[in-house]
Amino acid sequence: MKSLPPAEVELLRVLAARIVPETGELDAAGMGRFLAIVDGALMDREPAVRRKFATFLGVLRRAPVLRYGRPFEKLPAERQDAVLAWLEDCPVGLLRAGFWGLKAMVFMGYYGQPETNALIGYAPERDGGGRLHA
Amino acid sequence: MPERDVDIVIIGSGAGGGAVASVLAPLVARGLRVVVLEWGAKLREEEYTGREVEMASRLYFDSGGTFTRDRSLTLAYGRAFGGSTVVYTGTSLTVPEAVIRRWDVPGLGFADVLARSQKYRGENNVHLLPEEDINDNNRLFLAGCRALGYHVEQFPLNLKGCRGSSLCNLGCPNRAKQGTHRVQLPRAEAQGVEVVTNCRVTRIGDRVCEAVVANPGYGEPSAWEPGEYRVRAKVVVVCAGGAVNSPALLLRSGFGDRLPMLGRYLSLHPALILVGEHERPISNFHGHPKSYYCDEFWERERFLLETCFYFPFVTAKNLIGFGAEHSELMRSFPRLQMILVLALDPALPDNRVLLGRDGEPVVDYTLTPQVLDSLHASMVASARVFFAAGAKRVHAPAGRSFFIDAADADRVAQVIPRDNVKPGKISITSAHLMGGCRMGRDAADSVTDSWGRVHGVPWLFVADSSLFPQCSEVNPYLTVMALADRVAEGIRNNIGELLA
Repeated sequence: MKSLPPAEVELLRVLAARIVPETGELDAAGMGRFLAIVDGALMDREPAVRRKFATFLGVLRRAPVLRYGRPFEKLPAERQDAVLAWLEDCPVGLLRAGFWGLKAMVFMGYYGQPETNALIGYAPERDGGGRLHA
Repeated sequence: MPERDVDIVIIGSGAGGGAVASVLAPLVARGLRVVVLEWGAKLREEEYTGREVEMASRLYFDSGGTFTRDRSLTLAYGRAFGGSTVVYTGTSLTVPEAVIRRWDVPGLGFADVLARSQKYRGENNVHLLPEEDINDNNRLFLAGCRALGYHVEQFPLNLKGCRGSSLCNLGCPNRAKQGTHRVQLPRAEAQGVEVVTNCRVTRIGDRVCEAVVANPGYGEPSAWEPGEYRVRAKVVVVCAGGAVNSPALLLRSGFGDRLPMLGRYLSLHPALILVGEHERPISNFHGHPKSYYCDEFWERERFLLETCFYFPFVTAKNLIGFGAEHSELMRSFPRLQMILVLALDPALPDNRVLLGRDGEPVVDYTLTPQVLDSLHASMVASARVFFAAGAKRVHAPAGRSFFIDAADADRVAQVIPRDNVKPGKISITSAHLMGGCRMGRDAADSVTDSWGRVHGVPWLFVADSSLFPQCSEVNPYLTVMALADRVAEGIRNNIGELLA
């Protein structure tokens, strides 16, 4: 990825597996597509947005040290989920929005792949009306 | 820097710019040169792939996810030959008379707007879909609203040869949607108007525009070679870049000093996408996605409910939560019913477009407690509609739990507490961006007069949704076209004076 350093990419993989568990089961090609979509989205945005995203990942990595004595990626899965749930509902609007942005990136990386559409039963057709009347 | 001399420059080719180009096109036969400068690309027909991420990146600014300053909303607005008319669903509503009265713009009457709206309903083949073409997602909304006694209307749509791909918001792959890229722009081009795509106007001076042409690697190449240009407009410049880019361009060009209201009074119709899950698969992504709207709460609680059906990524990011429950709901995609909520937000002076330090637009918008009340009430109403339509469970972003089961259908107001409506947590979006160059009396209260002429600048006009003094309270594109038609007619009728 051009948009994030390798350590942040690894953290993104860990986070993705908590946000969309299916990303943990992606093969190399699927993970490659996931990272390419996220990278493309970040590279399309202003450098300041990329910096904010990387900063948020850094905060997310280090914040659990205060409470649990370990960075995010070293926590057991249920504690990782607890940290994310706290962020989603936390009193600081900017942190809530930061987590929303992270989720959006992960959802884009996974559900934005045409290859995953079939897995959730989504199969649009140019002639959808024909299917409707079939 | 290459220079181009024309008579009329139109910036933007969406509902506003496309309508202006069409109305002014006959002037070409009288010897005037008219050019449309469009930031976005003109996609080749085979490039309308329906692939969500790809189409979003090619047809929207920031892939349809531009953040507001406090990051509590994301904005979706188009960038293409045809502007946002390429990516809407084609809903063609005439603005209600009560709204025009509320706008209170001297010289702008409902009869005028109505007549112009009817003109574009005709041009764009606006009609109601026959009942047999309406899918379950829409039928269930109708059934649910009727069971509850809510008032429902059918959307008139601007379609010709719709094949029900349901991909409207990613650009119709069947050429069916009658946006300006299909109707007004080709007609204007046939009469000699030049449309230059991949061309961003960066600044407006005294009857001159600075512009940059850069081909993005998809779509047809621009009619002009890549590079920087100075485009002199002998007669007028018409700014139709939309409610973010028109105010931003005028601010960047230094008009803010003489126009204190420039950029202000932005309204957004803040929106939620809500889902209900049925026991069995329903037809939802086959057929046109948008057939009905419910205006039961229009006056009192200030929101509309509309049918909709979105794509996997957009759906995923509009759900609250993450992990197993979220995935479970996504895997029930063929069983999902969707409702789009539009809150009817007030136009406030502090909600506005600013320029960042880099000169790019920043949308500074605060959700008021009243708008959050509307969004909360709309979640409760939508949950009731889903259950009345037979849903087995509902996902409400402010719900106490991820799923609300049908057993709780009678107590949805209790299980969706108002306190849970938290900006930043809940996904709130906007695709109806309005205001920023509002019409009005003079520079103390507005940016333009009721004919779109910028106060104190006789050669500069605005013709897009930024003209709206307040929100339109219905889907706005037909009203944009009606106002742009009026702006263009004013220019055409005064062309002798403007030429002099």
